[in-house]
Amino acid sequence: MDTAIVRVLLESTVKIALFFFVMLTVVAYMTWVERRVSAWIQDRRGPNRVGPLGLLQPLADGIKFLFKEEVTPPHVYLPVYLLAPMLIFVPALVTFSVVPIGPSLDLLGHRIALQIADVDNGILIVLAFSSMGVYGVALAGWSSNNKYSLMGGLRSSAQLISYELAMGIAIVGVLMATGSLRLSDVVEHQIQNGWNVLYQLPGFLVFLTAAFAETNRMPFDLPEAETELVAGYHTEYSGMRFSMFYMAEYANMVTASALVVTLYLGGYHVPGLARLGLPETAAAIVQVLAFCAKVAFFLFLYVWVRWTVPRFRYDQLMNLGWKGLLPIGLANVLWVSFLVLKGWA
Amino acid sequence: MVLLLGLIAVVAVFALARTFVPARTVPVGAALGAVMVALVAYDHQELASLEFWSGLIGFVAIMSALLVVIHPNPMVSVLFLILNLFCIALFFLILNAQFLAVIQVIIYAGAIMVLFVFVVMLLNLKAEEGLRLGGGPQRSGAVVLGVAFAALMFYAIRNRGAAPYFEPESFDSGFGTARGIGRLLFTRYQFAFEAASILLIAAMIGAVVLAKRKLR
Repeated sequence: MDTAIVRVLLESTVKIALFFFVMLTVVAYMTWVERRVSAWIQDRRGPNRVGPLGLLQPLADGIKFLFKEEVTPPHVYLPVYLLAPMLIFVPALVTFSVVPIGPSLDLLGHRIALQIADVDNGILIVLAFSSMGVYGVALAGWSSNNKYSLMGGLRSSAQLISYELAMGIAIVGVLMATGSLRLSDVVEHQIQNGWNVLYQLPGFLVFLTAAFAETNRMPFDLPEAETELVAGYHTEYSGMRFSMFYMAEYANMVTASALVVTLYLGGYHVPGLARLGLPETAAAIVQVLAFCAKVAFFLFLYVWVRWTVPRFRYDQLMNLGWKGLLPIGLANVLWVSFLVLKGWA
Repeated sequence: MVLLLGLIAVVAVFALARTFVPARTVPVGAALGAVMVALVAYDHQELASLEFWSGLIGFVAIMSALLVVIHPNPMVSVLFLILNLFCIALFFLILNAQFLAVIQVIIYAGAIMVLFVFVVMLLNLKAEEGLRLGGGPQRSGAVVLGVAFAALMFYAIRNRGAAPYFEPESFDSGFGTARGIGRLLFTRYQFAFEAASILLIAAMIGAVVLAKRKLR
């Protein structure tokens, strides 16, 4: 093979390995953040025994999950039962690969983009893989052969179909303003013309709400709803298989937050950074840190909302999706097309 | 071709072993895995060829399509149909139609098949016991049509014409992007596009009217 291919392969492998490591660490520490913040909101102490401030708690949890017995109930449909946790975890990770986390910079004499794959159809790939995520939940519920799990799976497929539509309509607004499906172009457009959230606030709100629903988080966690369905689709899972669902939830949150930031909050853009005249590498580091800070804010928002807002009833969920978000999203599309027509966006 | 045919043979032997000596699946699987590694080491150049990948995807597509029909469990059939649709998306990708590939995944694998899963779960369909064969006229009709279709395919492959006219200077490598397809849809195929959208609207209104008839 010639050296160009080897270089590209090597570069991508390094990026993927690095991304995988960072993602899993963030996911592990999100479980800690979740419990500490929930404790703070409820005026408790939270996990504070393992290590300083309880910081080693995720490690202890990981060890516990690895050594726990994996119980496979006799009534499950085994091939699908084993496939489901993977089907939910993989799309959550794959989606992140098209998100740019920083500008491209020169490193060791090569131009390196801080993004795993800068593909032409970036946004569509996001939509494609986020729609794959539903299979994990639905099939876990079905293959468990348990009525509560089945209810959870059914609810999730109905919920995701409804909210995917709203999400797609919200993204249409961003696409019209940018004129490209490439996520790095979306960020570039926002650097030139200001963040999308300033021009299309309704679209931003619709996307954010749909992102909450797509990740099955409170107030949209009807598929698991522990008070009605035991634990919904993952009732019959234990040990590492259960922890796959658990990690997938947080991985999905990270990906969804990164998407909100990229599509509406300028991605890695820091206003006024260009005027400081920093060297390129320093500027890139600041921008990556800014991206992380923005994502961290939305991760905190996820936790904050979960411990503040009660769960929707099923009919309220459907009403919000079809009669609330969809019309607002359509109105947003009209508004953005007006802006584009006038040449303001 | 050695690698592709070898891999297909390995899969076939493994399937036979699983059916006839299920107790020996693990050692047989390990031996066949070693054969696979040896095949790749013997003919690794073929890994870079388009024929190899399109052949492999085609094989997976045909096998998954067969399993959709054969498998007794409806949910597993749905899963194999999803796999089949993915293979077709990969074919679009090989043919430089990236937009169609992604849209194939979003619309078919992502939206329509979710509805299939939903219906199978809602009706709680159970696995069929044994293969269900249709009655006399259905079976003979299937045989006649199947033979006719096979003959037609054979004829078409035997008498295929020359490769389509290809002119490197005027070739537009962007024909498969969203831009290229959008341009075609709104210029050359505008009538078909509008007609299809009117048809869809009519179907949607019809469905609403039918569903709401009892409420009136």
